[in-house]
Amino acid sequence: MKQFSLAPIRTYFVSWCILLALLLLTLGSAFISLGWFNTAINLTISVTQAAIVLLFSMHLRSAHPTLRIAATIGFFGIAILIALSLSDVLTR
Amino acid sequence: MASTVVSTAPQFDDAAQQRDASNLGIWIFLATEVLFFGVLFAAYTITRTQHPAAFAAGSRLTDLTLATINTALLLTSSLTMALGVHAAQSGARRATVGWLSLTVALGILFLAIKGLEYHADYVENLVPALNFSYAGAQASQVELFFYLYFVITGIHALHVFIGVVVISVVAYMASKNTFGPEYFTPVDLTGLYWHLVDIIWIFVYPLLYLVSRS
Amino acid sequence: MSSISVAQHENYLTADFRLWSWLTTLDHKRIAVLYTVSITLLFFVGGAAAALIRLNLLTPYSELVSIETYNKLFTMHGVIMVWFFLIPSIPTTLGNFLVPLMIGARDLAFPRLNLLSWYLYVIGALFAIESLIAGGVDTGWTFYTPFSTMFSNTHVFAAVAGVFIAGFSSILTGLNFIVTIHEMRAPGLSWFRLPLFIWAMYATSLILVLATPVLAMTLVLIAVEHFFRIGVFDPALGGDPLLFQHLFWFYSHPAVYIMIVPAMGVASEIIGCFARNRIFGYRFMAYAMLAIAAFGFVVWGHHMFVSGQSAYAGTVFSLLTFLVSVPSAIKVFNWTATLYKGRISFEAPMLYALGFVGLFTIGGLTGLFLASLGLDVQLHDTYFVVAHFHYIMVGGAVMAFFGGIHFWWPKVTGRMYSDAWARFAAIVTFVGFNLTFFPQFIVGYLGMPRRYPEYPPEFQLWNVLSSTGAVILALGYALPLFYLFRSLRDGPAAPSNPWNAKGLEWQTSSPPLPENFLRTPVVTEEPYSYSSDGPSHG
Repeated sequence: MKQFSLAPIRTYFVSWCILLALLLLTLGSAFISLGWFNTAINLTISVTQAAIVLLFSMHLRSAHPTLRIAATIGFFGIAILIALSLSDVLTR
Repeated sequence: MASTVVSTAPQFDDAAQQRDASNLGIWIFLATEVLFFGVLFAAYTITRTQHPAAFAAGSRLTDLTLATINTALLLTSSLTMALGVHAAQSGARRATVGWLSLTVALGILFLAIKGLEYHADYVENLVPALNFSYAGAQASQVELFFYLYFVITGIHALHVFIGVVVISVVAYMASKNTFGPEYFTPVDLTGLYWHLVDIIWIFVYPLLYLVSRS
Repeated sequence: MSSISVAQHENYLTADFRLWSWLTTLDHKRIAVLYTVSITLLFFVGGAAAALIRLNLLTPYSELVSIETYNKLFTMHGVIMVWFFLIPSIPTTLGNFLVPLMIGARDLAFPRLNLLSWYLYVIGALFAIESLIAGGVDTGWTFYTPFSTMFSNTHVFAAVAGVFIAGFSSILTGLNFIVTIHEMRAPGLSWFRLPLFIWAMYATSLILVLATPVLAMTLVLIAVEHFFRIGVFDPALGGDPLLFQHLFWFYSHPAVYIMIVPAMGVASEIIGCFARNRIFGYRFMAYAMLAIAAFGFVVWGHHMFVSGQSAYAGTVFSLLTFLVSVPSAIKVFNWTATLYKGRISFEAPMLYALGFVGLFTIGGLTGLFLASLGLDVQLHDTYFVVAHFHYIMVGGAVMAFFGGIHFWWPKVTGRMYSDAWARFAAIVTFVGFNLTFFPQFIVGYLGMPRRYPEYPPEFQLWNVLSSTGAVILALGYALPLFYLFRSLRDGPAAPSNPWNAKGLEWQTSSPPLPENFLRTPVVTEEPYSYSSDGPSHG
């Protein structure tokens, strides 16, 4: 596995600006009444923010596939836990 | 430039193998943290699905201003941490110490604001098992919202605290000129941990604070 | 490579005799020995609880212990056997010892984390023992809410703390194995040249690191709810007891695969050696273990068919449970095919391994009955379930564990034991096991509930048979203590490869050097290249 080469500092500042912008977006959208869609927007923005942190700050963009699998497998596990448990709760 | 020579532990063939093993090791640990917190998200999801109105009411009683500031602080601390790792890899001793110290400061600020939040919750009688009192409908279920609120933010704050301690130790190591292009693993691994703590909060924020603001 | 006798070189046992050197060791082989001693002690504690249970069940009316005590007995039996014996068993003893040896490494990736994991296990065990001495826990090993959180006045917190701490021991072991197997294989040792025991350790480790954290947080939630009397598991407060069950079984079902997959790895090693044959369908065997690990995460709801879970979710979980049996079945067919046209010999390890295959098959098939929604309504919470999981965990996992102990004993200790006594013990264990647990299938089908200290008098014959079997089984487990310990004192010195087996661990001395190999081996052969070779007794 190769060690990553020094990423330009600009990458981090740009990600930071995007993350803050997304924060304002998720906050702002909460003041518009959209029913369940509000939560959907919030979570989509959260996933996007998380992806930016993972790819850029945590260097997954240039990481070995094994590391990428390790990085994402936890989220899949939780998705299974929530999805199948919800399948029970929603159909009782 | 770094003054210490990195030694390879005897079980490894070379420094590259040691570095790869450390990297894979920390990512597996981070996966366990995701699953650890994931249980709380699952408990939240199921309970909110069963009591949507109570969760909406509870969320409206949280302090959105402080939480938003805290989110911005944590996102910024991720930036300073990433810059700290970058500086360590470049062997820039003073910059490394500077960025890591700034990260610690932001972390402490996060915890201080969290403390203010908790204090306000206490004053407003929103602490379950202690002084919880809610006049509206479904008080029991609103109390469940706050139970999860304290458990989730509490365990997250504990992780922030641990991060602050570890980053301080690493900053101290950096001040001793320990890191450079050949060896900056502790900074790198600590950075990954800190970013994950940030990611967890990225999900906590909308779920606890933005449920019913319109 | 020539065999290196014990006397010529210092080995990992003789490197330092002080107790302090053992308690601060970073050598994976010594840590494996430390674990073996610890889990054996805990095995006997859990076994004592089982003995009292079976004694009490000799008569239909609970005449030996009170109902409250009986609840504590089956709880402590379950807690100790699951978390402090079975889950650590093969991975921390055989796994810790063999993983670096089998891949040609000097140690695991993180020796200090390895030692830490043993200390965490010990501390967790001490908490569990403390809860036992302080009066026990009566919630069942499953800690169902709201009884465990709101109503039980037994020592729930100490037991939960013990399991929580031991859980981190598991996670560290799994993390160590995954990194070691990925990063530290010897030159030439590609993934598909790995012994199936390594594949088993890898698959098990995936489950360990992914499932255990979920248990950890669930236990935290129980502890908080028990302590603060507020929480999401109590229906009186608006919570949902099924939420607890979903969280608990999300871990606890994969946990049973943590218990059986290592046994499958051991079985492959033994059967290949004593049938003198390549393992049939090597790649399918490896993929099957990965599939079991993966599928094992989506079937947990089959523990909740009658608890209030929706019929829709029950149907989904039932279907997925049928699917998870397929890779296991493939493995059973492949072990059988490995025997075909082999030159089979029946040393003690082989007896244990063959016993494993047969008993695991019975246990697995009875799982299919339980996977059917309709049948499970009848069978849930009866002795049929108890028999099912004991066939897999005891008839399967423990038999394979004993087989592995006997197979690798010469490597670990440098001594040969009496094969005659070992074969006798294996047969006694097999007879005792079946006499203990087969009647439980029958009496469970007839309707005897589990976890009850009393039963209708017409079930007494089956219970007497079962309890009698338990005595024989106990004898079968006690026998190895005698002849194995005797081998330490005056067993003949073991050559480096007493079974003429394939695998890198047999290419170094018995016991191995502290650093395992004089020179890092280079692998050029496929695994299990037995067919062209001589017999196992060389």
